Amino acid sequence: MPDELSAADIIAESAGPKAVAETDRAPSEEPEQFSPRLANARDMIITEHVDKWFGDFQALDDVSLRIKEEEIVVILGPSGSGKSTYIRCLNRLEEHDAGRIVIDDIELNEDVRALQAIRSEVGMVFQQFNLFPHLSVLSNITLGPQKVRHMPKLEAEALAMQLLERVGIPEQADKFPAQLSGGQQQRVAIARALAMQPKIMLFDEPTSALDPEMIKEVLDVMQELAESGMTMIVVTHEMGFAREVADRLVFFDEGALVEQGTPEHFFTNPREERTKLFLSQIL
Amino acid sequence: MANMPAAPRERIVLPPHRQRARRPRSVRAREWVRKNLFPSWRGTLLTALAAGVLGAVVVGLIAFVFFGANWEVITHNRWLLFAGGFPREEAWRLWFSIALVFALIGLAYGTWSSLGRRDHLFVLLVGGFVIFLMAHGGAAVWSSIYFLIAVGCMYIGYLLTYRLPRATSSMRTLQVRLVGALLILALPIVLVVLLAGGNVGIRDLDGFVLNLILAPVGIVGGILIGIPLALGRASSLKSIAWTCTAYIEIVRGAPLLGWLFVALFILDDIIGGDLIIRAMVVMAVFTGAYMAEYIRGALQALPRGQYEAGQAVGLSQYQRMRLIIMPQALRISIPPMVGQAISIWKDTTLVTVILPLRELKGNADSAISQFEFTPDRIEAYVFVAVIFWIVAFMMSRVSQRVERAQGVGER
Ligand SMILES: Nc1ncnc2c1ncn2[C@@H]1O[C@H](COP(=O)(O)OP(=O)(O)OP(=O)(O)O)[C@@H](O)[C@H]1O
Ligand SMILES: [Mg+2]
Repeated sequence: MPDELSAADIIAESAGPKAVAETDRAPSEEPEQFSPRLANARDMIITEHVDKWFGDFQALDDVSLRIKEEEIVVILGPSGSGKSTYIRCLNRLEEHDAGRIVIDDIELNEDVRALQAIRSEVGMVFQQFNLFPHLSVLSNITLGPQKVRHMPKLEAEALAMQLLERVGIPEQADKFPAQLSGGQQQRVAIARALAMQPKIMLFDEPTSALDPEMIKEVLDVMQELAESGMTMIVVTHEMGFAREVADRLVFFDEGALVEQGTPEHFFTNPREERTKLFLSQIL
Repeated sequence: MANMPAAPRERIVLPPHRQRARRPRSVRAREWVRKNLFPSWRGTLLTALAAGVLGAVVVGLIAFVFFGANWEVITHNRWLLFAGGFPREEAWRLWFSIALVFALIGLAYGTWSSLGRRDHLFVLLVGGFVIFLMAHGGAAVWSSIYFLIAVGCMYIGYLLTYRLPRATSSMRTLQVRLVGALLILALPIVLVVLLAGGNVGIRDLDGFVLNLILAPVGIVGGILIGIPLALGRASSLKSIAWTCTAYIEIVRGAPLLGWLFVALFILDDIIGGDLIIRAMVVMAVFTGAYMAEYIRGALQALPRGQYEAGQAVGLSQYQRMRLIIMPQALRISIPPMVGQAISIWKDTTLVTVILPLRELKGNADSAISQFEFTPDRIEAYVFVAVIFWIVAFMMSRVSQRVERAQGVGER
């Protein structure tokens, strides 16, 4: 497949032959079910036949998924099923070994310039927050805009304050991360990602390291973000969030995309045995 | 915001609503003494034992210092010990450098820390010690005055920066950058002050002055070598990693003494150069291997998430290193690096043993080789030991301060 193909070409090409070639795998035959509100939206993320190996262990096995602009996708799956690996491939924290990944019409490959472009369009929030402990909350947020986007300092600080306002903790701007609660740290991490004005936000279990009483404050921020029209991929075990906010749920198992559908589909009549088993354990 | 609870979930803290009584000071002091010195009959016994030993040492020392010892070996050889062959008419260079460094210490303390009662006491003790030296055996009035001026410079520098408000961020940033730049430039500036112009050469560095130059060159050079070495050893490019590993392991495989032999015999054929320059190179190369390992340890101690968060924000590899990884890694490696600095400070005496260079200890040797001072060996070495201790103690105090000052942002 030549490199210069546009996203549209790729979709056109993949729609036909792919389904035939992949007859051994039931999930691929399943039509993607987009929420009606996204009927006319363009594709923001396209992953096709993505494989990822760690040594001789296959962490991703032929994962194909298209995500529309403004779509909220929640990824479910048991531990070790490749959820993190998948979303980490999307901003190339991991390099995929086969298949293609196209983000906002830019293909992810060895090209460093393309990678820089994609990384500044894709924000990521980690389970462990990963704030920079030696920088104040404000500097954590202004670092990216100043150094990557070359935004003047004052402008970056104004933006940072605006974002802290948005995540509900403007009064913490001058503190250091270690002085904040887990929930506050995660909200700072969200503000830091938003400061790059990304088109896509990736969340890898953003509430898993939090005490129960702090989970809600983070989920509220994420919900507000979803309603503002951000394209989001969220790995989470928070079923309430998945049910309420997601346009689509995707179930991973042993590195493969096993089943996808609306929350309604998942919570009323999941098709695959593995999905049922997983849901029965988590619900 | 959707579903946001009316009140943000913060921890509930009530303001104190009544003045609580404090126990009187005398009671607290008595408590402290009881708990820390006489907690049980066994503790009391140990305290008594320790007090006996300490008392005996202190009494013995006082008796020796003030009554038994003959300090003429020191006062008579003041200049020899201090600067040896450094031309006397160029002494202003030494005093000027000392004043510069003292002022810089003051600036740094004012910027990042504060002087406490103990620091003032330390300055007073050391100052008294130096003045005492100057006053005996042919009073060195001008030197005393120069020294006092240097101490004055330290306090002026301190007050200058300490008085500045630390809160306003742009002023503060400017101040930190300025003092930081001065600190980085201090060594080159001092070298220029000491050596610029034709009258003095690097060969004239002698006595205590030589220790004072060799150690910083070794330490600063070591850090400058250590950072790229550490990064190189952690590199995914195997050829680079192996080269750096080989450097580190080979250098650490032999003692400094051995490398000074190399400087004396082998480097002569390869690079030539003055003995002092060769000694400096060896010090830096040697220290660099150790610094590299401390920094590498710190790099490994950093969670992978720090690298990844930098990547996710879109920082380039260089930016990640400079803005996120190195600041944290260097901070973590401060304590072992200071340990190494103190060790290289004491090892500056080795250049006497191997190279025919004369530093403080070497010049003390020549002082007691003078006929009339041969019986005063102990005095000479006690003096040298005290001088080395003072500087080493200052280094460890400063490093404690640095650690504490930076503790704010610690995880
Ligand atoms: N850097 C790595 N080296 C080797 N194996 C890895 C690496 N990262 C992940 N794996 C393996 O790949 C598999 C998928 O990991 P991944 O982190 O994507 O799982 P996950 O679905 O996110 O699980 P969890 O819910 O526990 O986070 C796991 O078996 C894991 O052990
Ligand atoms: Mg995971």
